[in-house]
Amino acid sequence: MPDVKSKKDILQIEAGEDSLWADFGQVERLTLSLTQTYTHTLGRYSRFFIELENQRFMATRCGRCQRVYAPPRPLCPDCLCPTYWVELAGTGTVQTFSVQHFSPGSNADVAALKTPYVFAYVLLDGASTLFPHLLIADPAQVTVGMRVRVHYVQQPVEHPIHLIHFIPVE
Amino acid sequence: MKRVPVVVGIGMTRFAADRPDCNPRDLLTDAVLALLADAQLQDLKAVQHGLCSYESDHFNKQMTLAAILHDQIGLTPVPNVRIEGGGATGALALRTAWAYVQSGLCDSILVYGCETNGRGVSSQTANQLFALSADFDWEMMIGGTYTGFYAAMMRAHMQRYGTTAEQFAHVAVRNRRNARFNPLAQKPMELTIADVLASRPVAEPYRLLDCSLLSDGAAVMLLATEEWARAHSAKFTARPAVYFSATGCGTDTMRLGDRYPELTNFRAKRAAAQQAYQMAGITDPLHQIDVAELYDSYSGVEIQAVEDLGFVPAGQGGASVASGMFDLDGELPVNTDGGLLGRGAPVGATGIAQAAEIALQLWGEADPRRQVAGARRGLTDTHAGIATLSVVNIFERRD
Ligand SMILES: [Zn+2]
Repeated sequence: MPDVKSKKDILQIEAGEDSLWADFGQVERLTLSLTQTYTHTLGRYSRFFIELENQRFMATRCGRCQRVYAPPRPLCPDCLCPTYWVELAGTGTVQTFSVQHFSPGSNADVAALKTPYVFAYVLLDGASTLFPHLLIADPAQVTVGMRVRVHYVQQPVEHPIHLIHFIPVE
Repeated sequence: MKRVPVVVGIGMTRFAADRPDCNPRDLLTDAVLALLADAQLQDLKAVQHGLCSYESDHFNKQMTLAAILHDQIGLTPVPNVRIEGGGATGALALRTAWAYVQSGLCDSILVYGCETNGRGVSSQTANQLFALSADFDWEMMIGGTYTGFYAAMMRAHMQRYGTTAEQFAHVAVRNRRNARFNPLAQKPMELTIADVLASRPVAEPYRLLDCSLLSDGAAVMLLATEEWARAHSAKFTARPAVYFSATGCGTDTMRLGDRYPELTNFRAKRAAAQQAYQMAGITDPLHQIDVAELYDSYSGVEIQAVEDLGFVPAGQGGASVASGMFDLDGELPVNTDGGLLGRGAPVGATGIAQAAEIALQLWGEADPRRQVAGARRGLTDTHAGIATLSVVNIFERRD
């Protein structure tokens, strides 16, 4: 017998005798693994991620409407003009959050998270938008209005967004 | 009025967590055969245009699925177009078909949707694939998930308006209960609010039973001018005419954080509803709409929707839902077929299945246990992301 290495199983689907598909009841299933590797550019966001290695938290400001974007937007969507980089102190206030009990395993950093973890939307002091990130804290202690700050990690990470997360301000 | 599309017929498969007997082509085959039976058509040879509705090349493991499905159901060589609009794909497909018919580009168009979001992949892979539809570097790479984004919005709603977990659990109970009267539904269940509150937390404040389903399935709808329908479908003249009378669409920023300070509700849904209401001449939606299919991707989303669609004022969604206002015997029954929570949600088919339920209701052909007596006008509410794209379609019976 030839060996079909990806074969998972063969099922017999029960269909009534009057079923249109009685002649097609035998179903073979395979286990297929598809993997892709990309060169992923951070494009005009890059300086944000590069400065995290220097423990600096950058946002962008629109010179026309003065809105401060964190996460940065290289283009102000309201004015359609380029923004410029500004540094924020990295302190802010939780506006809302969820307590996530499973990890989607989106990358090695996320797969390593201990559940439950807090996914928080933080209004950084000086910013006009909310920055989403992990808040490493006891979920039971997290509240809307809580003061938090950016914490810089020392251990190696896969995606540079994990060079930081939020922690409560003591 | 002359070119306002009418619904010639509908077809659907049973929605299921797993259809090992069917690949996407097989699912669509079954929906199309159901349509032929519904509209009493021999074939699709007179149909002038195809419109394929599917969201994900990843879940379906196939790019150009539109070409494959169009070929599968024998529509070549008529023109075809594929529409993708995230979770709103099916509703956006119907809206596009509305414009194709209204413009005179074609007199009849088959909108066919299918998706395999079920157990073809593990739930972790499914979460990763859905997370790809979040903002890659700023949400997905952090470990954000749509369940988490929706949960954060619901927390803001609770914080601002005092909405409670018991109130959104009511939606989880009612929609799965409605699904008991729909033989094509994936997960009919008889639950109590206590069951929902006791289910395991997924992304707090949402628990397992607050979350909708991953499904395999297909749904189709044949739209045409009234003239085409009369000429080609004997069934059309045998039942009340249902018109696809109005459509609206709105958008919002990709990331929730960019909507600050609005975190509780869906701006895009309000915009979509306003457009559709204006087109349909609706000024008092609660009383001028008889039945509605709302996008209950999570139980609390229905509470946000009844506010944004103008059924009740902002902040009163929780109390009105819990009062039974939107139950089968309530003032405005919603998700009579079970919704995403009970019927299921194969993405590209979801919006079409919602519209199919409205058509059934307006024809008076729904299962008597879920039929809304005398329904003459129905609405579908469908969105993508956290209502990053929102579509509202309105159907009316005229006889
Ligand atoms: Zn600006």
